[in-house]
Amino acid sequence: MKIGISGKGGSGKTTISATLARIYAKKGISVLAIDGDPNPNLGMALGLDAQTLEETHSIPRSITERVEDADGKMKLVLKDSVEDIKNLHGIPAADGIRLLVGTKVETPGSG
Amino acid sequence: MGEIVSESDDITVMDMEASLEHLSRGTVRHVDVLLIVTEPYYRSLETARRTLPLARGLGINHIYAVVNKYRTEEDEKAVTEFCENNDLEIIAKIPFDNNVTQADLEGKSLFDFNPESPAVKAVEKLAAELPERVPLNNSSASKFLSKPNC
Repeated sequence: MKIGISGKGGSGKTTISATLARIYAKKGISVLAIDGDPNPNLGMALGLDAQTLEETHSIPRSITERVEDADGKMKLVLKDSVEDIKNLHGIPAADGIRLLVGTKVETPGSG
Repeated sequence: MGEIVSESDDITVMDMEASLEHLSRGTVRHVDVLLIVTEPYYRSLETARRTLPLARGLGINHIYAVVNKYRTEEDEKAVTEFCENNDLEIIAKIPFDNNVTQADLEGKSLFDFNPESPAVKAVEKLAAELPERVPLNNSSASKFLSKPNC
């Protein structure tokens, strides 16, 4: 089941996302947590320690490539399998949760 | 990111950006259920109301409101009424909880800070309710979740 959580900034969606993930993971279910917020906080809300948070990196754009589809339109596709992406870029959190950070802004203008 | 969502684990939880832009961009198309977190005040509710048709337009079948940080019975009543009038189905109500602020100040997860806190208890109910509303077709999560006993 893929659960998307939206809401205005400050509504508590990150706390709810993290708590849901922790509750399911505690039951022994494999959980992938994705931080899709440009100002990512899900790692801390999941309980990652400061050092791990410091070392987290977002998924690089190089996982995608532009290809031309049959109609001559350009589109972005994943180069690696989802398993590879998770293994390479997934950050381990409590109870086996894997965290992927989508859009962390590392330096101004790097986007 | 959308493609990652569509093929991953038993449960994928995706914390989305605050604006409505992600909906138009289509990342959210791959989710089975969209939870719209809303606080009991007008601008938050208004955002939730405007999110609903966008999400429906993307073909998401299960869209629910999660009421967060309600403080009084009046809050709760007002939100419930707003949601009913705007075709928003509420799946969970989470009370205002000081533990959330305190956990945040200490840089801890709420779940580690106080697993017995009212907010965690309310999210546990949500966790049990979701598989009741959203059919789990393929995943092994169903064996854990089909009969929630909490």
